[in-house]
Amino acid sequence: MRILNQIIAVCTINLKSLPQRFWLSLSTVMAVALVVGVLLAFLAMAAGFQQTLNGTGSANVALLLRDGSQQEVNSTITLEQTRLIAEAPGLVRKPDGSALMSAELYVIVDAVKRASGMKSNIPLRGVGQDAPALRDGFTLVAGRMLQPGSNEIIVGQALTKEFAGFDLGQEPRIGGVTWKVVGVFAMQGSVFESELWADLPVVQGLFRRGSITQTVRLRLTGADALAGLQRYSDDEPRLKLKAFSEKEYFAGQSSGTVKLIQYAGWPLSIAMAVGALAGALNTMYSSVASRSREIATLRCLGFGGFPAFVGTLVESLALSLIGGLLGTLVVWLLFDGFTTSTLGQGFTQIVFSLSLTPALMVQGVVLALAVGLIGGFFPALRAARLPIVAAYAQG
Amino acid sequence: MNDFSIVLANLFRAKLRTSLMLVAIFFAFLIFGVLAGVQNGWDNIGNSGADNRLVTTNKINFTQPLPISYIDRIRAVEGVEKVTYANWFGGFYQEPRNVLVTFAVEPETYLDIYRSDFALTPAAEAAFLADRTAMVAGATLAEKNGWKVGDKIPLNSNIFTNKSTGKRVWDFTLVGLLEPAKEEANPNFVLFHHKYFNESVTFGQNTAGYALLRTVDKSVNAAVAEKIDAMFANSPAETATDTEKAFNKAFASQLGNITLIILLVVGSAFFTILMIVGNTMVMAVRERTREIGVMKTLGFRDGRIFRLVLGESLLLALLGGLPALGLAAVMLGMIRQLVALPGLELSPPYLALGLLFMLALGLITGLIPAWKALRLNIVTALGRQ
Repeated sequence: MRILNQIIAVCTINLKSLPQRFWLSLSTVMAVALVVGVLLAFLAMAAGFQQTLNGTGSANVALLLRDGSQQEVNSTITLEQTRLIAEAPGLVRKPDGSALMSAELYVIVDAVKRASGMKSNIPLRGVGQDAPALRDGFTLVAGRMLQPGSNEIIVGQALTKEFAGFDLGQEPRIGGVTWKVVGVFAMQGSVFESELWADLPVVQGLFRRGSITQTVRLRLTGADALAGLQRYSDDEPRLKLKAFSEKEYFAGQSSGTVKLIQYAGWPLSIAMAVGALAGALNTMYSSVASRSREIATLRCLGFGGFPAFVGTLVESLALSLIGGLLGTLVVWLLFDGFTTSTLGQGFTQIVFSLSLTPALMVQGVVLALAVGLIGGFFPALRAARLPIVAAYAQG
Repeated sequence: MNDFSIVLANLFRAKLRTSLMLVAIFFAFLIFGVLAGVQNGWDNIGNSGADNRLVTTNKINFTQPLPISYIDRIRAVEGVEKVTYANWFGGFYQEPRNVLVTFAVEPETYLDIYRSDFALTPAAEAAFLADRTAMVAGATLAEKNGWKVGDKIPLNSNIFTNKSTGKRVWDFTLVGLLEPAKEEANPNFVLFHHKYFNESVTFGQNTAGYALLRTVDKSVNAAVAEKIDAMFANSPAETATDTEKAFNKAFASQLGNITLIILLVVGSAFFTILMIVGNTMVMAVRERTREIGVMKTLGFRDGRIFRLVLGESLLLALLGGLPALGLAAVMLGMIRQLVALPGLELSPPYLALGLLFMLALGLITGLIPAWKALRLNIVTALGRQ
């Protein structure tokens, strides 16, 4: 009990005397805040990108690609194959008995980024009338759906924010043809919000693809119907297609970019953390040095070495915790929800928002406390072992 | 005892404190050095292109092909010296993950336009031109995949199907290795005959992925580009012609604003050490107040005291920063082996910038304590506990 009281007393003294070492303590707080800020900005980028892809696609929607294609852009599916797929088992059918399906053509077109003014690749998707029904969460936030057979396009909400020339009512020129933006759609921040949609036959005509499409989307009666669909395709020599659930397809698309961001973020943060650690050690050694008489006095009064140790450690942890929280707060205020885009695996831009999740905040605070723990441990050891006589002899 | 030894003695009187500051400075400059190298490689992506090379692509996007008939029409444009073309093959070797940058090219013109960038031995070039199933590959790429000249190599395409087999695989003979002919060049790709490609694919015949041309001089670039694009305006395949540099830059910028990210990270790292070192220097000099009073009593002039303190912070910045830039250069050399991005190095301008930052750090962190020391009144100094 006595030792506990002593610890509380020493901690209180340490924390209350912090203002005496204001600038040096502040430099530790800022250093830790910046380290945590850099780490979290990178991790929030990776998390935001991953969320955009993971949030795309349902387990009940099947996506068929030519066997061997990893991407929509290099798959081909013929009209005959599309007709055969429509007869597969386990599909949700419309009241007239036809399958709820959408054969789609995915081509890459140029658009100018608002931020940089540079040309970038964006996807133009030729879709059928069932396309919106095959995507959970599809809503038109402005305008109307496109008319089949016309040069009308609807654009994803994220795309209009990031790229110029695709606002509602504008008439962009693509491939020598003038298009009209008649609607803007949202889809819970998924990849599709980075796309332009137009009528399939119109896109096929413009890009001279005949009746070829690249993917077929279907709604399954349940997630377990996927295996049946794959079997159906394997048993039919004219098909030879690979069936994915939309969810697994998009989850597989994120790993490369996410890893790249994380591989860049962690080493940088650790290098910065070592620098901040040096700063924290410095601050705490100075703190012990400036209080050496005080500590010696307490020891004379019968205080043990252990409370002196804990007191210094707590001071260091408190500083780094404040720094960690400050860094988290700044990233949250400045970057959470910040929209940007990068080149995805489909060779087109994917617009995503930085996302600071609670799990990431925990990682940031843990890094801060690690700096505080190591930065406080050795100075605390010195405080505990301070020879009383020497402390008085000084200065 | 000269001034430099006084500075040294002052700097290392608190060995632990000084080493900790050196560590902080070291890591900040290490981050600067490595990221400056990355930025340099990034800048270089655009600059490796020659001044008089233009790229003509389909206006819709560079992934859309052009009719092959366009090539001869471009050749006829005044100011165009040489034209070649290439198709993206979507090649991979064995595993779909092992993607190879593979182009089907018209060999004579392609090698001619890139002669200043990539070197092929005359024997290898003759072998390449003679055999339409031949391919050449970058030397490092061939080594990575364990290929030797003379090997039969099956390459897969993730786009095209081979008419003769119905499979998406083509057999090639490796006849030569491409070496970089200048420092910034990076032949990290595979080339084979467009003729072989054209006669064996099931679709996409008689198309060129994009056209590459050399103009007679860079001064005619704009006029040539304008003429080509005007020639195909309102045709089914309109074109966009740009310099090779601008094209490469635009492509690289699709990844994101790398420069901004680097700027923010380096900025944070420097701000951190500025805080740490600045405060510590103030503290270190304050501890020496009495001593400075003694020095002034002994006749040290104010200016000399000022220089001594400033010299200390400058020396600290240089001792921490210089080895860091050295290590950064070594690390960049190691990364360069892995990612084969030429220009991934500390170029002289960035090296100079690093030195400038060291001087700035030393001056800024030393200025306040040096000024305080200069203004110090002897009586107060000696009186202070």
